[in-house]
Amino acid sequence: MTSRSFEYLSAAVPHFCRLFSRAVIALTLFSSCEDAFDIHPYDVDYSGPLHLNAAQITRIEQSCADKDTIRVAVISDTHDWYTEMEREIDDINRRDDIDFVMHLGDLTNTGMIKEYEWARKRLLRLQKPFVTIIGNHDHLGTGDEAYDAIFGERDFSFIAGRIKFLCLNTNAGEYDYMADVPDFSFIQREAVRDSSRFDRTFVAMHIPPFCDQFNNNVSLAFRVWLDLLPGLYCCAFGHNHRTYADTLYHDGLVFYGVGSAEKRQYRIFTFTPDKYAVEVVDF
Amino acid sequence: MQWKLSIFSLLLFLSGIKACAQQGSDAVAGPDTLWQRKSSLERVERMRSRWNRIFPSQLVVQNAGNMGVVSAGVGWSYGCRRQWETALLAGFIPRHQSDCAKMTMTLKQNYMPWRIALGDRWHFEPLRFGLYVNTVFGEQFWGEQPHRYPANYYGFSTRYRLNVCLGSQLHFLIPSGRNRSAFERVGLFYEVSTCDLYFRSKVLGGNLSWSDILGLSLGIALQL
Repeated sequence: MTSRSFEYLSAAVPHFCRLFSRAVIALTLFSSCEDAFDIHPYDVDYSGPLHLNAAQITRIEQSCADKDTIRVAVISDTHDWYTEMEREIDDINRRDDIDFVMHLGDLTNTGMIKEYEWARKRLLRLQKPFVTIIGNHDHLGTGDEAYDAIFGERDFSFIAGRIKFLCLNTNAGEYDYMADVPDFSFIQREAVRDSSRFDRTFVAMHIPPFCDQFNNNVSLAFRVWLDLLPGLYCCAFGHNHRTYADTLYHDGLVFYGVGSAEKRQYRIFTFTPDKYAVEVVDF
Repeated sequence: MQWKLSIFSLLLFLSGIKACAQQGSDAVAGPDTLWQRKSSLERVERMRSRWNRIFPSQLVVQNAGNMGVVSAGVGWSYGCRRQWETALLAGFIPRHQSDCAKMTMTLKQNYMPWRIALGDRWHFEPLRFGLYVNTVFGEQFWGEQPHRYPANYYGFSTRYRLNVCLGSQLHFLIPSGRNRSAFERVGLFYEVSTCDLYFRSKVLGGNLSWSDILGLSLGIALQL
């Protein structure tokens, strides 16, 4: 038995190499038909629309260029609740007065390629342009690389009307508190960049200050840096899955929590040159 | 990783000692009687046949299946009708838009309850049920959530995936003869699989179709 196996094996080597290499090539080619084959949950081979934030921001800046009043629908934490996410999107699509949509992060639960694709497919059903901020769940596995490929920069800003919308990555826990998160130099740069084009600022993030995964060593410093931003209206965050408002620093600056899709609530912010209004929408 | 390697090398070392001891006793067998020689030879033969049992009986290569673009490895088929199969596969995930390519490792258990003969050369196994654990290598994946997170924050592993698959297999028995191949038979199979997290999303997430969470895999098993 032993000698038989070894004899076969020695005879098998060249034969095997030929057969094996052909099989590997054929099967790899098959895998490129990606709809039918699942390579791996943490594969980062994205096709379809990529760099979405940049493309959507161009749309937003064009459509809002001369507007005094900007109305923004803000949604958050849609992971695991695809039915509710679809209803939320349908509800937003029924409104004509929305200028654009902001998603405050946690599109995915585990950062898998499929979850990103499921979320993207639904977001693309929005008739209005949208931007997406990275949430802590979106970092898991290769999720952060997927976010970079599909949506783009993790800290970004854009100007709609005369308002700068500053979108910050505040998921410090995902970097083991070892990275520039939140990025103070980014905030500082954004406070003055294109200063002739905006008078007011709105800040959006996933994790609010003093929350579990915020870098709470710099919570107070973060507040000081926010004061650099011209005419700051208020801030919005997701993460806690609850719709509530809090002056986290007890100084008049309001932080608005946006509920998860599961709670069937989102917010609409209406910004005018001198004030803003917030409403909660149940769907 | 280090301790796993150490255990492996220790086992390898011990098996070496055992083999040496066996050879040693062969050489210094006291009174050179036929009886003693025979028993010693039998012992060697027994040991060899035991080793032979752990010698893989299959070479397997398959694509996708949440194990990488392509994965390959060795398998063991056993049971009175060879209805059980265990395979150890190494897979490859190309770099694409990420920082680096990744390797995966899979331990797979298959069960084929029925085999239908289609003529002399072909056999068909209509049901091939498999359960497998896949692990992906890379420091961004964890088995248990790292200490930086609040306790029980992420109740899952990003490194280990439990997969389940259903499929069929067609065997071709290679004719024996002078020009016979080194392999006894070639099995071509397909599997439809999903993993624990996809299934969880389907159950919790509501509006996901089965095609969202199921994937196809094609493979070849060469039986020695």
